[in-house]
Amino acid sequence: MTEMASDILTIIVVSLYFLLMLGIGFWASKKIKSTEDYLVAGRQLGFWVFVLLMIGTVCSGMSLLGVAGLGYKAGWPTIWEQIFVPLSIGVCIIFFGVKLHNVARKAGYVTVQDYLAHRYESPTALRSLSAVAGIIVSLIYLVGQYTAISMVLIWLFGIPLWLALVIATLVTMAYTAIGGLYAVAWAALIQSVMLIVGVLVMAPIIIWKAGGFTQVNEFIASVNPNLVMPWNPAGAFAPPYVVSFALLLGLGLACAPHVINNVLSIKDVKYFKWSPLIAFLLYGVVIFLLKFAGFAGLAMVKGGEIAARTGVANPTDYVILDALQSSLPTVALWAIFAVIVLAAVMSTTDRLMLTIGAMFSWDIYKKILHPEAPDKTVLLISKIVVVVSALGTMIIAINPPEMLAILIWMGIGTMLATFAVPLLAGLYWRGATREGALTSMALGLLAALLFGFLNYFKVNALGIDFATIPLHFSAYAFVISLLAMVIVSLLTKKTPDAILDETQTGWYISKQ
Amino acid sequence: MFGLPDITIIAVGGVVLVITILLLYWGLTFRGHD
Repeated sequence: MTEMASDILTIIVVSLYFLLMLGIGFWASKKIKSTEDYLVAGRQLGFWVFVLLMIGTVCSGMSLLGVAGLGYKAGWPTIWEQIFVPLSIGVCIIFFGVKLHNVARKAGYVTVQDYLAHRYESPTALRSLSAVAGIIVSLIYLVGQYTAISMVLIWLFGIPLWLALVIATLVTMAYTAIGGLYAVAWAALIQSVMLIVGVLVMAPIIIWKAGGFTQVNEFIASVNPNLVMPWNPAGAFAPPYVVSFALLLGLGLACAPHVINNVLSIKDVKYFKWSPLIAFLLYGVVIFLLKFAGFAGLAMVKGGEIAARTGVANPTDYVILDALQSSLPTVALWAIFAVIVLAAVMSTTDRLMLTIGAMFSWDIYKKILHPEAPDKTVLLISKIVVVVSALGTMIIAINPPEMLAILIWMGIGTMLATFAVPLLAGLYWRGATREGALTSMALGLLAALLFGFLNYFKVNALGIDFATIPLHFSAYAFVISLLAMVIVSLLTKKTPDAILDETQTGWYISKQ
Repeated sequence: MFGLPDITIIAVGGVVLVITILLLYWGLTFRGHD
């Protein structure tokens, strides 16, 4: 195939995918009659749409590029990511979803902030703090997603970063803004199927090209024996870090606003019965293959089959793209893989944009600033915020971070430190109070931002080298958030029993 | 096995097995209430 023919084919494949997404957005826009339709899809999502929406939301830019990039860099000690990320869907459904869904049906929640405002009797303070914190962490996370999208477009078309960002942003923004959660959910259904099928076909080709499962392991062990150990005593993935990693991914992702809001949109609570296991196994296999493709990439680089990238800010994240290019015979297949990567990234990006739109339009505009605002106005504000957040993060993403995984973990870490304790304590501990929740959330957010900054910029202060702290920075912020909740709650006035009963607060998941 | 040390197989395989059993138990026992 000539270069021109392959370029045309690539453009056709990617354009068809973009048109399909825009078509879904247009179709979904016809179903939007109210803000509730827009933000929670009228609470009508079916089983498979929900399962694949959860997978699509959790499976982000890091899942395809960053996961393989990290595998390439640090080997098997990073494999825990492949267990705890798929598990986060089950954690979200079991520990948050069942109870939130049951209460939301009766109380009419549209966002998780509705729950926090109700449970802690804080319609203004906690709602606004929670919404602002949610917008900040979602924006951090969104920048990481745009970086991944633009990497794929640059790799595929060799276009400048700014142009790649503009194309990716406009398409994702358009179908999300017009179709709301209906569009996001149905797009996720298609995107997740493409992702699962694509990875199941293409990752084994890369692994086979690198010599197969056993040979790849033996090869990377010969480079460094620690690369095939379950943890790396000499490196960043020592056992304490792995434990904090489990907390970060298993719980942090589970309570992220863009993930947890999905549980409000299903039609029937019985969907929660098998969705945790199905999502864990389905996504577990996919993300494991991606990580192993990163190991295969390392074997290919060390074996001289492909060259390590230079001259880009995040070279390890390109390993799966380069390994694929070396393993697949035709450009047409790269284009299909590129669409799969785009699908994975866009399935998180669209959900994040919609979540930011919901937190601003519903929680801040409707519930705090203008309670009398008509539904039509709230809907319009939601759409405007989707557009503004997309354009804002696109500008930030023009200077991509050194490693995609680090930025995305910072986003998840901040979500963990900010939301996990107020939500878990709210759902399960009748002693948790409004003041406890406010302090816990504020200190968790501030501590996560501070520790994340000190760690990322390798600051050495107060005799501590923050670049080499033994746990992920978010674990320290999580402990501060937890202590704040317990101490302040014990010292302040209890929430009335009537509210606790309405919100089903207690040490149970669902009342039998 | 698979070019990996036993400890890697036991640690990673063990955790995956435990999680799978727990999620299976959840599926078998969850009744759901609305």
